[in-house]
Amino acid sequence: MWHHSAVEFLNFILIFTAGYLVLRRPERQRLAFGLLVTSCLLMATLFLIGARGSILPGLNY
Amino acid sequence: MATRNALYTPLTLAVLALVVGPIGIAVFVLGFGLGDSPCVLCWAQRTGMVLIALTGLFVIRFGPRPRYIGLAVLLAGFGLYMGLRHSSLHLWRDVGQGFSAEILGAHTYTWSMFIYWACVVMMGALLLMLKDGEAASEARRLRPLERVTLWLFLVAAAGNAVQAFASTGPPPYMGQGDPVRFSFNPGNWVWSLEEWTPSPVSLRGRWAIEKPDAALASIDPASSPLANVPVLPAARRANLGLPLDGPITDLAYDAPTDRFLVTTEKGIYITDGTFGRVVRHTVVDTGFSVDLARFAAGAFLGSDTVMAVSENKSYVILRENDKADAAANYRYFLASFDKFDEVSRSRFTTVRAKMMYVMSAAFDPASGSVYTVTVPNTRVKRLVVSRFDRRDMTLSEEFTPALAPGSGLAFKTEKGSLDSFYATGAAFAGGKLYVISAAFGTLLTIDPQARAVIGAFSVPGLERPIGLAIKGSEAFIVDADGAITVVPLP
Repeated sequence: MWHHSAVEFLNFILIFTAGYLVLRRPERQRLAFGLLVTSCLLMATLFLIGARGSILPGLNY
Repeated sequence: MATRNALYTPLTLAVLALVVGPIGIAVFVLGFGLGDSPCVLCWAQRTGMVLIALTGLFVIRFGPRPRYIGLAVLLAGFGLYMGLRHSSLHLWRDVGQGFSAEILGAHTYTWSMFIYWACVVMMGALLLMLKDGEAASEARRLRPLERVTLWLFLVAAAGNAVQAFASTGPPPYMGQGDPVRFSFNPGNWVWSLEEWTPSPVSLRGRWAIEKPDAALASIDPASSPLANVPVLPAARRANLGLPLDGPITDLAYDAPTDRFLVTTEKGIYITDGTFGRVVRHTVVDTGFSVDLARFAAGAFLGSDTVMAVSENKSYVILRENDKADAAANYRYFLASFDKFDEVSRSRFTTVRAKMMYVMSAAFDPASGSVYTVTVPNTRVKRLVVSRFDRRDMTLSEEFTPALAPGSGLAFKTEKGSLDSFYATGAAFAGGKLYVISAAFGTLLTIDPQARAVIGAFSVPGLERPIGLAIKGSEAFIVDADGAITVVPLP
C-alpha cells in the first residue's frame, strides 16, 4: 500500500533532502521541487487521515 | 540589486523567523527540552510550516518563480484550514483547558492559525515588492545570511526527523492522537498504527445532528422499553380550529387568566380557556439577530409574559402590551406589531444536552425555573432534563432521570433505558414535571427533586403528540394536526 509509507519521519527525510539540494546542489532544482511537492501532498494526506472523522472544523455551524 | 535585496532580505528574515521560532522552538525546546510530543494533526501543522519555510528557500535560491509562489499560497491556505480544524477540537472548552503545551498562554495548535495567517500577509507584502520580469530569475548565489538560514533549516529539519522517528516510528507507523512524551530512550518509544484503523469519513463529524421531528418516533406503545405501562384513557377529544399561521408546535396554560398559549413554528397565540378564539397573537421574525429556527415549545412565565423556545434552545420572551409601539416592534415581528413587547431573545446553553435538540419547555413558578427535555438523535440517545434559573436564564441543574424505586415501573430488559423517549411537550404542576413523548405515546411524570420518573402512562389514540398543557386536573395533549386529547392528570 503506497500510503503505508506516508509517515512523518519519512516526510522530514524528504524535506531534509530537498533543503540539502537547494543548498548544495542547486542544479538539481527540478528534483528538489519534486520532493517539495511530494512532501506537501504527504503532509496534507496525513492531516486528512487524522481529520477524516470530521473534515470540517468541529464547531457549531 | 538594491531592489532585489529589498525582496530577499525580508524574505530571508521571515524564513529565519519561521525556522528559529515556531519550528525550532517546537522541536528543540518543547520536544527535546520539555518532552512535548505532537499528535498526528500537530505533526501535519508543523510540517506545513517547515514546507512553507522550504518554499521560501526555493525562492531565495532560484528566484520568485510562479510555481513556488503558488505552492506557498496553497500551503498557507491548507495551513489555515489545519489550524482551524485542529483548534476546533478544543476552542469550546473552559478557559485554560486544551491539549499539550502552551506558548504565551495559548496552546501550540492555536498558534498555527496565527502563523499561517502571518505567512499569507508576508507573502502578499513580498509580492508587492516583486518587479516585472523578476520571476524569470536564474539560480542565485547565496549571501551569508541566506546560507546561514539554509543551514539552520537543515538542522531544524534533521531535528524534526529525529523527533518524528522517536515519536512516530518508521513506516508504516504514523503520528498518534494522544502521543506519550518525547524521550531519547528507545525503551520509552511508543509506535502506533491506530490512525490506520478504518473509520467512517464525515464532513461535520459529531456535529452532524439531524433536526428533530416527532414523526421520527414510533408511537407504538408495544415498542416501549417500559413494561406494564398503565393506560390512561382519554376523557374527551377535540379539534383545534384556530386560525394559525402554521402547524401547532406546543401548548401551555395560565391558570390565573384561564388562557392557553399556542405556538407554531413562528407564531405565538394566546387563546381563551376553551380554545374558542385567539385573543392575542404575533408572528416572530425568527431570523432577526438570534437564530430562533422553529419554535418547538412555549410556556407562560407570568400571566402577561410568555416564552417560546426553539428546537435549538434559543428563546424569545414577550410581554403583552396593548399600547406596544408598532414601529419599534417592526424588527421583532412579522405580523401584529402592537400586541407584545419583546423582553429578550437569547439562547440556553447546556452541558449534557449540547448535542441534542429540544421540543419541550415548562415553567415552574415556585422555583422560578424553566425546564427543557431533550429528544434523541442518531448520534446521541439520552433523556436529559435541564433546568434554567429564570433570573439569569442560565443552566442551574441537569440530569438524566432514572426510574424511581417503588414507582412500580420497570424496564422490559436489563439493558432498558429511557433514552428512546421523544419528549415533545412538557408542563409543570404540583411540583412535578409532566412530559409527553411522541415515542410510545407515553405521558411521563418526573420528580425533579428525586431526579426520577415516578409515573408513566400510555395514552391511546395519539398520532403525533407535539404539545402538552395542564389545566386543573387535566392534561391537554395536542397532536401535530391540531387534535387535542384530554386525559385526567395522573
